[in-house]
Amino acid sequence: MKESYVIIYIIGAIIAAMIIGMSVVFLVKAIKRAKAIGMDKKSITETVKNSAIFSIVPSIPIVVGIGIMMPYLGLAIPWIRLTVIGALQYEVSAAFAAGAMSNTATTSQIVTAIIVMTLSIISGPLFNAIFYKKFQNKLASIQEKNKHKMDSITGALLAGMLAGIISALIVGGAFGVGAPITDTSGITTYGEITLITLSTSVIIMLICGAIMILGKQKWIESYALPISILGSLLVALAFVPVFAA
Amino acid sequence: MKNLFYTPEKRDDYNNQMHSLGRLFTWIALAMIVLVPVAYALAAGKQPDWALLANCLPFIAGYWAIGLIEAVSYAPLLGTGGQYLSFITGNIANLKLPCAINSQNVLKVEQGSEKQEIVTTISIAVSSIVTTIIILIGLIPLLIFQNEIVSVLKPISPYVMPSIFGGLTMVVIAKYYKIAIIPFLGCIVVCVLGYSLGFGSSLSVATMIIIGMVISGISTTLLYRAQKKKKASLESAKVMSPTDTPNEEK
Repeated sequence: MKESYVIIYIIGAIIAAMIIGMSVVFLVKAIKRAKAIGMDKKSITETVKNSAIFSIVPSIPIVVGIGIMMPYLGLAIPWIRLTVIGALQYEVSAAFAAGAMSNTATTSQIVTAIIVMTLSIISGPLFNAIFYKKFQNKLASIQEKNKHKMDSITGALLAGMLAGIISALIVGGAFGVGAPITDTSGITTYGEITLITLSTSVIIMLICGAIMILGKQKWIESYALPISILGSLLVALAFVPVFAA
Repeated sequence: MKNLFYTPEKRDDYNNQMHSLGRLFTWIALAMIVLVPVAYALAAGKQPDWALLANCLPFIAGYWAIGLIEAVSYAPLLGTGGQYLSFITGNIANLKLPCAINSQNVLKVEQGSEKQEIVTTISIAVSSIVTTIIILIGLIPLLIFQNEIVSVLKPISPYVMPSIFGGLTMVVIAKYYKIAIIPFLGCIVVCVLGYSLGFGSSLSVATMIIIGMVISGISTTLLYRAQKKKKASLESAKVMSPTDTPNEEK
């Protein structure tokens, strides 16, 4: 494993503390506002609880991502990079572009990779810091003048996002059947398992819906998505050895 | 500074306060993020490979474009607080946004309402805290059992997206199927063509989100205009009818 310097751990700890601090401030402000507009305590508690439960399973692959990058970049850099803005595929691509995803990478290449990773992801936050307020005011004025138009824009973006993701998963999965793909981080994707996981998630969600409606079990609504995520991932875990063999 | 601490009574004041806080934290985060490579280079006593860095400029430019497109296109979905938080903590499409959509759906909040904005902010804030803590906790076993943990969990990493979006699509499909059908078919065509022509590897989920949003934006605009035209012609027909009546009587 590559060396990690104490100063980098210190900066990482400050960044993690800052993110928790920022989240707590925003959470407190939003809860106060929720109470001010008359939202009941039960709804607020339910939102907090649902979000916490939902976030557990999808967070685990982020830890795995740190493990994947550790042998090449040490522990501290992947930890920082995956705690702020970054996502595994961006970070690995950036490190790969700078030649750092190799056991023979020099310290100079690693410094270059960290610069590339850092510069690549700052455009979003920079936009927010400089232009977002003006942009959001524009969106608010559209909302004020024509709510239907703003709802259409929001609905279109969300529908487009879902359409893009689902089509990429279905078609990528279908074309990946019998032709597994191994990416730069060494992760192999089997098309069959992508389709099985997607279908299992849909089926579990439908079963949860049926239990909720037919069995009149309203409580399951809050847990339906975490259950379908966890259930389908367990199915994926069971199928990996089958297709890897 | 006073603007950051008082509890606002009006929605506009609350929004302005979120902007002030968001900008402050974003600048601090940016300073800390940029400090990392500087500190690493100083600690290691090495300079970057400038020629290699120059070679990576097109890569950086590509991600700048993606980052800007994401910041603009996610803005109406994330709300003020959610936007600032998400673009510091990351993992938007695979964690923060699905988490917020799930909470909105469970509470059945009205689209575009202040309640939706607040629920989104609470969800993303809680999600950021949970993720940061899980990462922190995960570092300890990772240091001790890195090989074991990675070998068990690495193979299922590519299946987190299908596990989230299979179920989530079922939840929101009833709400959006009318406007989602055209972008969905469009995206399927783009993907099939892409894979058939041999550039399927370029059509990652991140790329397809942008393509899906563009197709959806165009198709929804056309539908919106058609609806508006239809509504206008119906209204003009209604206006015409009282004047038509006397003519008919004549």
